[in-house]
Amino acid sequence: MLDSLAPRRSWRDRAPLLILLAPPLMLLIIFLILPMLGLVRSSFSEGTGPSSFGWTLGQYSKFLTDTYYLAVLAETIGFGLIVAVACLLIGFPVGYSLARLPPHKRRWRLIAVILPLTLSLVVVVFGWLVVLGRTGLLNSILIGLGVVDTPQRLLFNRTAVLVVLAQQFLPFMILSVMSVVSQVDPVLEQAASNLRADRFTTFRRVILPLSMPGILSGMTLVFILTVSAFITPRLIGGARIQMVGSLIFEQVLTVLNWPFAAAMSFILLTITLLVTGLANTALAVKMTSGGRHAN
Amino acid sequence: MQTSARDRGLAVLGSVVRPVVYIGLSLPAILIVLASFTAGDNLRFPPEGFSLRWYSAAIASEPFMSALWTSTKLACIATACSLAIGLAAATAMDRYTFLGREAFRTLTLSPLIVPMVVLGLGLLQFFAWSGLNQTFYGLLIGHVLITLPYVVRTLTAGFILFDKTLEQAAMNLRAHPVTVLRRVTLPLLAPALISAAVFAFVTSFGNITLSVFLGFSGETTLPVQIFTYVEHNYDPILAAVSTLVILVTLIIIAILERLIGMEKLA
Repeated sequence: MLDSLAPRRSWRDRAPLLILLAPPLMLLIIFLILPMLGLVRSSFSEGTGPSSFGWTLGQYSKFLTDTYYLAVLAETIGFGLIVAVACLLIGFPVGYSLARLPPHKRRWRLIAVILPLTLSLVVVVFGWLVVLGRTGLLNSILIGLGVVDTPQRLLFNRTAVLVVLAQQFLPFMILSVMSVVSQVDPVLEQAASNLRADRFTTFRRVILPLSMPGILSGMTLVFILTVSAFITPRLIGGARIQMVGSLIFEQVLTVLNWPFAAAMSFILLTITLLVTGLANTALAVKMTSGGRHAN
Repeated sequence: MQTSARDRGLAVLGSVVRPVVYIGLSLPAILIVLASFTAGDNLRFPPEGFSLRWYSAAIASEPFMSALWTSTKLACIATACSLAIGLAAATAMDRYTFLGREAFRTLTLSPLIVPMVVLGLGLLQFFAWSGLNQTFYGLLIGHVLITLPYVVRTLTAGFILFDKTLEQAAMNLRAHPVTVLRRVTLPLLAPALISAAVFAFVTSFGNITLSVFLGFSGETTLPVQIFTYVEHNYDPILAAVSTLVILVTLIIIAILERLIGMEKLA
């Protein structure tokens, strides 16, 4: 910091900076920005093969005029909203309590939250197959309790996909809420209760407004992860439940229609960027207008 | 009276939700481990009997073992590259002010915002054009990209806690810049470096969503191998292999927990 504030900026001073910036910039420009531009380019290509040329809006109109694709798109966005709200409702109490627990009690609970995040997604999904499969845990319990006589088909439906997605992304919400609640001074809650507010009122008037940034960023993240999912719908939902991600995956690796997959990717990317942008704007508005309440 | 009932409801709800969440989060992994010791021919729960036969089957399986080796090698190299590049990026942002610094920060974190399926197709197509398609390098580049945001974020947080006066003190005592780096800067940054490395390793080791696009014939990563296998088969060898993945992840996390504590990760 001190060096950089010096008034004279000669090449000699800036050389280390350039050396530091060159590797990350090269990596990100060549292997992130260029491929994304290439994706945009090929989404306007004619034809259906992996290497197509020409200019057309055909790939987009194919997607946006077909009711099947639009239904998948709508369902994908619906899944994103449902999972985000479910994660908030389940994750908030957990994240809040984690933030307020003393460190020695927090340790194991925190491990339980972080471990699923670090574990490979395909292993987690496979674990759910063991839970929900015909010979799985849930069927054994149901038969053992006499609720059903024969194993039920618990996979390949919407509910199963939603449950598995919510379980996968719940830790993000918990951590997001936890980090923002631990910034909120507990004194504020004591002050509220000294003023005879009950816990619910304290929650609604004090905790909830102050943890809005964490809630918003957590929900945005969960939404984006959900709408981009393709492993879970493929393995848990089978052929019956399609999401935009699984359509793209299928077009890339099975159908080999890369221009169409590129167009769908670009639509998906636009949605996620829009949602991120909206959340950031909402946060910025919240920060400026909520400033006087917070202090 | 009405309010206290509302409070009690809130408390009861919380005490029900929390245990369910902690159990639900770990349930899939626990079931896999238990199911992997089955003596039967079918993957079922509860498992039939106890044996290690599926572990010997897994270890004897050439595709799974070579995939395990590929994944380990890839995760190690990707972590090293990501750490070096991420350290350069974090240092530049911490020690210098320059035009477009915030844009640069956004750029380094952006592989997290792009849906993995989109990044996967983008890279696949780019590699097909540039001849890196279906090579180890393509996979490596992809993994460096997706681990970089974690590394940059963790190291940036580490730099914020960093007391720069210690470096200045060392320099005032005429320590050589290399000595300052080796004896002051790096030891102070060590916790951040370790957690960045652990996060990068587990992210790369477990990744399926990007590897499935870049996975190449002959050599695949373990998650991709599990994915292709589970699409067509469903037997206890998967539970044994998945338990190995869980074990590797647990060991890495345990090392981190031992060295600097879980609090740093959150």
